[in-house]
Amino acid sequence: MSLFRRLVAAASLAAVFLGALHAADLRSWERSYVTLEVTYKDYDYSQPWSKPTRTVRKGGLVLADREILTTAQHLPGATLVRLQRGGRGKWYDARVTWTDPHANLALVTTDSEAFWDGLKPAELAAVVPPGPDFNLIRWRDGNLESRRVEFSKFSVREGALSFAPQLTLEVNTELAGLGWAEAVTLDGSVVGLTASKSGNTCQVIPSSLIRRVLEARRAGSYRGLGYFDFTWQPGENPATLRFLKLSGPERGAVVTEVVTRSNTPAVLQPRDLILEVDGFPVDVEGDYDDPDYGHLMLENLATRSKFAGDTVPMKVWRDGAEKTVQYVLPAAAYADELVPQHSFGHDPEYLIAGGLVFQPLEQSYLRAWGDEWQRRAPFRLRHYQNDHPTPERPSLVMLSVVLPDPVNVGYQEVRFLVVDQINGRKIATLSDVAAALKEPRDGVHRFEFMPGDSLQRILLDAAATDTATRRVLQRYGIPAAENLASTEAGG
Amino acid sequence: MGDPGVRRIPDPPERDVAAPPGVSVFAGGRPQCLTGPGPANTFAGMLFRAFAVALALMPCVLRAGNPERSVVQILTFSQTPVFDAPWRFDSVRRSSGSGFVIRGRRIMTNAHVIAWAKQILVRRYQDPRPYQARVAYVGHDCDLALLEVEDAEFFDGLEPLEFGDLPAVRSTVVSVGYPAGGEQISYTRGVVSRIEVQPYSHPGHRSLLAVQTDAAINPGNSGGPVLQDDKVVGVAFQGIPGLENAGFFIPPEVIRHFLKDVDDGRYDGFPMAGIRLVPLHNPAYRSYLGLANDPLGARIDGILSGTPAESRLKPDDVLLEVDGLPVGSDSTVLYEGNRVPVSMAFQAPQSGESVKLKILRDRRPMDLDLPVSTYEADRLAGNQHDVPPRYYVHGGLVFTPLSADYLRTLGREQTDSATAALIYELYYRRSEDPAKARPEPIVLATTLAHPVNANLGVRGRALVDRINGVRIERLEDVVKALDQPSGDQQIIEFSGRGGFECLDRAAAAEATPKILDTYGIPSDRRL
Repeated sequence: MSLFRRLVAAASLAAVFLGALHAADLRSWERSYVTLEVTYKDYDYSQPWSKPTRTVRKGGLVLADREILTTAQHLPGATLVRLQRGGRGKWYDARVTWTDPHANLALVTTDSEAFWDGLKPAELAAVVPPGPDFNLIRWRDGNLESRRVEFSKFSVREGALSFAPQLTLEVNTELAGLGWAEAVTLDGSVVGLTASKSGNTCQVIPSSLIRRVLEARRAGSYRGLGYFDFTWQPGENPATLRFLKLSGPERGAVVTEVVTRSNTPAVLQPRDLILEVDGFPVDVEGDYDDPDYGHLMLENLATRSKFAGDTVPMKVWRDGAEKTVQYVLPAAAYADELVPQHSFGHDPEYLIAGGLVFQPLEQSYLRAWGDEWQRRAPFRLRHYQNDHPTPERPSLVMLSVVLPDPVNVGYQEVRFLVVDQINGRKIATLSDVAAALKEPRDGVHRFEFMPGDSLQRILLDAAATDTATRRVLQRYGIPAAENLASTEAGG
Repeated sequence: MGDPGVRRIPDPPERDVAAPPGVSVFAGGRPQCLTGPGPANTFAGMLFRAFAVALALMPCVLRAGNPERSVVQILTFSQTPVFDAPWRFDSVRRSSGSGFVIRGRRIMTNAHVIAWAKQILVRRYQDPRPYQARVAYVGHDCDLALLEVEDAEFFDGLEPLEFGDLPAVRSTVVSVGYPAGGEQISYTRGVVSRIEVQPYSHPGHRSLLAVQTDAAINPGNSGGPVLQDDKVVGVAFQGIPGLENAGFFIPPEVIRHFLKDVDDGRYDGFPMAGIRLVPLHNPAYRSYLGLANDPLGARIDGILSGTPAESRLKPDDVLLEVDGLPVGSDSTVLYEGNRVPVSMAFQAPQSGESVKLKILRDRRPMDLDLPVSTYEADRLAGNQHDVPPRYYVHGGLVFTPLSADYLRTLGREQTDSATAALIYELYYRRSEDPAKARPEPIVLATTLAHPVNANLGVRGRALVDRINGVRIERLEDVVKALDQPSGDQQIIEFSGRGGFECLDRAAAAEATPKILDTYGIPSDRRL
């Protein structure tokens, strides 16, 4: 037998064997991978009082202790969650026991005994090997589908719902409609859950990160994902390293801005050259060599073995000498941003006074302009995302629209203006608006907007405002004059 | 942003008009200048000529004389600079427009017809010879220009056209010129549809009185006269893509202002009041300011810093009259039977003159004179003309002023924070944060690759904050700061996130001449 024939024969034998394995493999996954149906409030931020709902289906992994693991997407505003096993048949009412939008993870359970009968916890791989191929499994029309996907790379990027950079497994596939917590598996273990897809690249939350978060949570020591709240630029320009008087080989990343969101004390200084983070040397590209995942951006060291509140030792080059600093990781929290990316855990906030609609300026509002919101939403509102919060102005309130009424004649077309003061009081939150409206002067409410080339101020008849508010609510079918939620669930 | 003169609310998000879902906004097209691509010779052109002759034969339209003899075709060969490679020019472009002979042996046309011209040729009615012309005066803010012809013979037998008054709405006008679609002169007739203050697309950041007509005004018509009773009542200048049967012409008010301006041998431009005026309809606001519930009086909402208005007017002053014209509560005045924005009244005097205002301040009427003058501080936010951009090249780093023209080289699709920072600096900083505004913000436009700069991370599209510790207010500061001693490295700091880059001083100085040579740059600077 020629070598070629022997190879062909071996390959076909292997194919038969793999096929059998594949079928057995699939049957085993049927007991560990279930379907979730989530009905959630798909808010319309241009009408913050409305609560349209939408229903989606996604995947869930069976864990020990009667828990189903899935991605956090769509769960914070869920009104009804149901579970289904085997891809068909009965739906079981479920409840969400935990969500962490920053890590994009959630746990769901059901009290129905029958649901758990015969289910088997999935195994999460401790380390994700670099492929070369994985299987992606999902429920399709009542059958479990298993498709091959190719390993692309490990990257460090923002989470699907978070600004906090984290390890991401990227796989290549032409499969459409991914990102609904499909399971990516290898050799009987789960290596990750899909979070999103762009082009042919699917972003997968790696099992190593999932395991660490879940274990810390079980141990009661999970304080959320931490992040490095500073910005840096690569140290690739040798002239810059000479300017910083670095001795020894070229290395390190240059700190450019030390505190952007959190109120953590700044232990770093601009123009510090970061040489080492958590014991890992940092190269001129700002990467370190990860023992499991190869070259990764130094940002990953905020989540690799640490959580919020932990201390990360860093070696920096400052004023011509090496110095060690202890960096305490701030927790990723939406409320720390001037324009929060999300505000989960409550319905959209608003306050209506005399037809003037006030809303917090948040990214959820800007995203109402659709997929191209970063180009289409009003420039001035978008641009506030580049500013940092200050103690005097930790957040912003805007007059988003005016619901026409006799009391606000002349202002019907005013919109998208960020409020500076009302009745002389500085405004950062809707509670400030509510408090300011209790203090009219000279019989009028005085609304002043941020200085600039747009409208600066309007006045409303204070005595007529409350009546007008009631009239507006009735005419426009709005259930309440305000929704002032003040707490943030899920970090 | 936009016209920092008198402006009215509503103030929708400029530049990126968009509405949240559920709110519909009529997004009109932007006005466009109407120079033609050059004459086309087609069957359609012949048909067009036949039609034009028929129009010309209508006795009711053109009564006496032959005004068309004084309408000329203007062929321009122009070259515009490349704003992110400011020593370069685009390839030579040929375009055509129209013009007409006025008193003083001059030709009036649009500024945009002759902007950036390298050569201007004019052709007389049914005369095959081209004549060389040159620009005598140009007013880019009002899109008007006066040409002179070197060969005095050119004017032989041409009667200068006379100017008439602002035509009434609904009256008939005829547009004459050399639009695309044929070689010969063309006439179109229509009515005056409306008269308003419109954005002039040629300057890009100015609005002046303009007349809308349904007489066809097409590419190539630009600069041609709009006639009524054989008198010029306008200069055709722009259209709005997507709007049917709507062309715009510059009215006699603006033309006369331009002609008076150049009387002293120099063009200054239209003045600006420097106030933002908003309608005052709300009864509570009216009564708070001591006004009756009548249709008079508009509120001053903001004042442009650095203008005479800053020391004379205050927010919440109510403007009651401008030069005797009562101001309506919608911030318009009634002029020749048309309600037009008050800005028109502020644009009537020449730069340096005053307007008489009647205002209400703290419930007391007051009379005051407000000097008005041209406003130059927002020059870079408008389109630039005829003067090539300033730049300085050092170590392959190309520094140039931040301008609307430079921003356009980045493309409309840019949504990154670097471009957003530039947009903010150019259009918002001056009004929102005047203390930090710079007279001429400088960008690192591009980096010409060379070993001395090969490792720079920031290579363009960045606003320069400081160089060697010196805050950069204008291009001269770049030259000065790079020259001053600062150790072995030169540090260029960028605005925003605290990023910076370094160049080795000696190596950069040595590399500069070589880089200029490699990239064919005639000089390291244009200051």
